[in-house]
Amino acid sequence: MKSITFAVRNMKELLRDFISYIFCLGLPIIMLVVMTLINQSIPQMEGAPKVFNIEKLTPAMAVFAMTFLMLFVCIRVSSDRASAFLTRLYASPMKSSDFIIGYVLPFALTGIIQALITYLCGEVISLIVDGQSLNIGYMLLSIPLLIPAIVLFIGIGIIFGTFFNAKAAPGLCSAVITGAAILGGIWMDIDTMGDGWKTVCSCLPFYHSVQYARYAFVGNFSDMLTPLLICTAFTLVIFTASIIAFAFKMKSDKK
Amino acid sequence: MKTAIKTVNLTKKFGTKTAVDNMNLEIYEGEIFGLLGVNGAGKTTTIRMLTGLSAVTDGDAYVFDLDIKKDLQKIKSLINVSTQETAVAENLTVKENLEFIADIYGISKEDKENTMKEIISSLELGEVENQKAKTLSGGWQRRLSIAMALITNPKIIFLDEPTLGLDVLARRELWKVVENLKGKVTIILTTHYLEEVEALCDRIAVMTNGKIKALGTADELKKSVGKDNLEDAFVEIVEN
Repeated sequence: MKSITFAVRNMKELLRDFISYIFCLGLPIIMLVVMTLINQSIPQMEGAPKVFNIEKLTPAMAVFAMTFLMLFVCIRVSSDRASAFLTRLYASPMKSSDFIIGYVLPFALTGIIQALITYLCGEVISLIVDGQSLNIGYMLLSIPLLIPAIVLFIGIGIIFGTFFNAKAAPGLCSAVITGAAILGGIWMDIDTMGDGWKTVCSCLPFYHSVQYARYAFVGNFSDMLTPLLICTAFTLVIFTASIIAFAFKMKSDKK
Repeated sequence: MKTAIKTVNLTKKFGTKTAVDNMNLEIYEGEIFGLLGVNGAGKTTTIRMLTGLSAVTDGDAYVFDLDIKKDLQKIKSLINVSTQETAVAENLTVKENLEFIADIYGISKEDKENTMKEIISSLELGEVENQKAKTLSGGWQRRLSIAMALITNPKIIFLDEPTLGLDVLARRELWKVVENLKGKVTIILTTHYLEEVEALCDRIAVMTNGKIKALGTADELKKSVGKDNLEDAFVEIVEN
């Protein structure tokens, strides 16, 4: 119950921060609209694939939105650490597991809502621009499948928030946001960028997150499996590292 | 009188620096106990050890006969702390902050509602109960921070420099709050304001370099060094 109480507090803090709406919901939707407009303005060669295909762009944008989730987890953790509020909670009967669950739950829920809104926005754009509906069934089915990627970014946020102060941590997150966008192939197809670049991208979790989100979005579950498993493996490692990091920091703060 | 806190050779070292040095102390249930000392004397470190915020290097401490090294989790449900800095959740309202802390300590719904009414009334927080903590002035935030320490009905409350940075009026208001708690809760208070300890505390310990240099009532401390006021007595004790 302590973890749920803490989760509710974190959810309220997030919902009452106007900036979180802009970054977590507004920006991905704006980017989706902007990319569609750019796509519309590029002269289309007959038979050539669209530069920004809505079926590829929407799930990639859902993953991109998760990077802002990472930023807000990071700000929450580092701000709490900087204030005496966390000291008060360290003196309470809360355990490190209560803190971790309390940080993960509200942001994971936000991640799911964020994906749902991004997908609905993708559907509206598809209807307006292409005059056809996306596959709503696959779209909805793919949302719970995004949980490993959501937890991955939350884990990175907790690690940064744990080790860096409230000034440095957001800066590091911004670097990851940019890195995830480029190395994840959110805007451009990694396959067209050469083998060397693809190898670098394959060594990081972002590319696999985007890949499996795209496959899941169109119901290509057989091709989705490999990137999903790779992303889940990264998630397990990073999330475990975040738990260890937070518990370690909690213990070292007591020295 | 029942012992609330007992320290036995309690020691805290940071590398080669000894912050608290073999402290032996007994604090009784229901008393307001003042910890006085210049900066770096070891007051906050003592509180941090007694609240489980800092590990004990050597020696031991007991809170209502519970060992701080073995029974910390049980001790944590008996105590609460108001730290030097204001410790509130900024985007939560006054009421939500109180509810949050009560829920963290597992206070039943009925007890929570009753205690909340009582605390909101005694700390006169009614007029700001639906205001977000971040919109409150420093004095109100400090008052809320103390209310958050009281909402769990602790047997012992640690107030670490509770009036630091407050204006005279806000400080006097908080004195009233602490005075009202006299006899109901054991209070360990650290402060730099000598008039504060004189007005509020039953007994006072003067710390220098991690050691207790003097212990007694304000009158006993003044008498021990032949001074008429606590400030002169404090200077005399610390310098000699």
